[in-house]
Amino acid sequence: MRKFKDLAARRMMLVLTFIPGFIVLLMLFGLFGKARPILAVKPIASLLFSSVWSPLKGQFGLWPFIMGTLWVTFVALILAAPVSLFTAVYLSEYAPRWIREFMKPIIDLLAGIPSVVYGVWGLLLIVPLVSKVLAPLFGVYSSGYSILAAGIVLAIMIFPTIIHVSIEVFASISYQVREASYSLGATKYETVRHVVLRKGAQGFLASVVLGLSRAFGETMAVLMVVGNIPKAPKSVFDGAATLPTLIANNYGEMMTIPQYDSALMLSALVLLLVVLFFNVLARFILTRVERRAE
Amino acid sequence: MKKTSLALIVIAGIFACFLPGQAQKPALEGYISLSGAWALYPMALKWQEEFQKIHPKVRIDVQAGGAGKGIADALNGAVDVGMVSRDIQKVEIDKGALPVAVTKDAVVPMISVKNPLLQDIQKKGLKRDQLIAIWITEQAKTWGELVGVKNDDPIRVFTRSDACGAAETWAAYLGKKQEDLKGVGIYGDPGLADAVRRAPLGVGYNNVGFAYDARTLKPVTGLAVLPIDINGNGTIDPDENFYVDRNQMTKAIAEGRYPSPPARNLFFVTKGKPQKAVLVEFIRWVLTEGQKYVPETGYINLSAEVLAEGLKAIGVK
Repeated sequence: MRKFKDLAARRMMLVLTFIPGFIVLLMLFGLFGKARPILAVKPIASLLFSSVWSPLKGQFGLWPFIMGTLWVTFVALILAAPVSLFTAVYLSEYAPRWIREFMKPIIDLLAGIPSVVYGVWGLLLIVPLVSKVLAPLFGVYSSGYSILAAGIVLAIMIFPTIIHVSIEVFASISYQVREASYSLGATKYETVRHVVLRKGAQGFLASVVLGLSRAFGETMAVLMVVGNIPKAPKSVFDGAATLPTLIANNYGEMMTIPQYDSALMLSALVLLLVVLFFNVLARFILTRVERRAE
Repeated sequence: MKKTSLALIVIAGIFACFLPGQAQKPALEGYISLSGAWALYPMALKWQEEFQKIHPKVRIDVQAGGAGKGIADALNGAVDVGMVSRDIQKVEIDKGALPVAVTKDAVVPMISVKNPLLQDIQKKGLKRDQLIAIWITEQAKTWGELVGVKNDDPIRVFTRSDACGAAETWAAYLGKKQEDLKGVGIYGDPGLADAVRRAPLGVGYNNVGFAYDARTLKPVTGLAVLPIDINGNGTIDPDENFYVDRNQMTKAIAEGRYPSPPARNLFFVTKGKPQKAVLVEFIRWVLTEGQKYVPETGYINLSAEVLAEGLKAIGVK
């Protein structure tokens, strides 16, 4: 009897473990099924690479949204990666213990702030910053609702992800490596630069990729500050739109315009595939890093 | 011994609660969910408040999110009532949408009070062609050319990013659809008002409920209504000048002096005839006793015929 309970518990937990993975598969198939009507009518290349978005006329070019997503994520990455790197290095190598214990929960707090709160904050602070300070600095006009504004807000949103994972990566580097460096007479800076960073580079890259996949899918905060213009952007001061904002904004019209729901499901599918890809990549790199550290 | 007697007392107590009291009508109870147009949101909140006062056991949830969300949620069965601030399309009716007109309001164009040409704009107004040149063809580039004054300030155009009735109605007035409206897309009616307020050279549009302050009945601080030159004679005549406060505005809409569109009926949409008793009662109440709250909330009453049609549609005499 006890043996049976043991076996049942084990099997049940096995099944439950597979459920999340199963759900992801369900989502993929569901989205693909819903996207098929439009894929049957239009070649995928015309959908992905056409720049005209005019659903009532039957034009579903996703290119402006793909570009918008890439631009916004790229800006967020450029802003977030260096700052996160320095923060993670400082916290794991230099900071006295009390600072580290104090900062860690604060950084995790940033991760917990709801997306819409970031959006409102971005509206109040970042949009005027871009339109009144940053754009005139470069001599251009911007309404403030721009790729730059969305990139700044996104960068702050992905700090916690990158910092958290990077700190763990640096912590996983065995202390003996650092000791060996010090024993050769290296300063702390030299140790960090040539030893820790070199060993932690792959892990840091993985953390950046994780942050990237979060940035890709971020919807509400971006929607409120990005300007929602369905045209591929030419500068960071232009307004633009991303795949997530496309879906969030137009979810209502789906029901009525023919093929619209199919087009939106296709963009959701593209988004899901991209995010999955980056997540898997990051996991793969991280497991390699962890295995090496053993 | 003690435990069993305690149990007996508890069970007796529970039975006592179910004993029939004096004969009374069972109180109406249940749950109603609404979602959709920002335009209907303030009115729906008022109706929710008053209906819950009369029927305290009924719980009503109201969510905004735009007319597009409203119709999608209603047709999906996610909510009981979709609030829609534009005409229902045939495709939507084919999918089972049953619209009931509950009140009327309008979309008004707005500018910032910090606009350097504010006086000229408010004196002359803009004709419909000029509005088309702003939002559709983008041929109007400066405020100066709109008002006939020497001024090179560029026009900063704003519109709604979410699928909503206000944009669809405004576009209908300009002869097009929401997707043809140009400009920076802002999410939500309050968001759009805010964007124009902060941009001195901005121009946008809002529902009357968000254009006017509910307390002072004047346009929201920082915003001014852009008068429409309806007869096209180049100035705002006294009978075209009703934008000063909300009461004059609603009177003009009710009397048809403000064009429809951008004035339009606001609808509650259900999927097919409402089945839940509490839902039928709520809509019936909205179309009858609830109408007395309409003017004080800044909306326009519908005619008795339209309301009667609505009652017929939901199956109430």
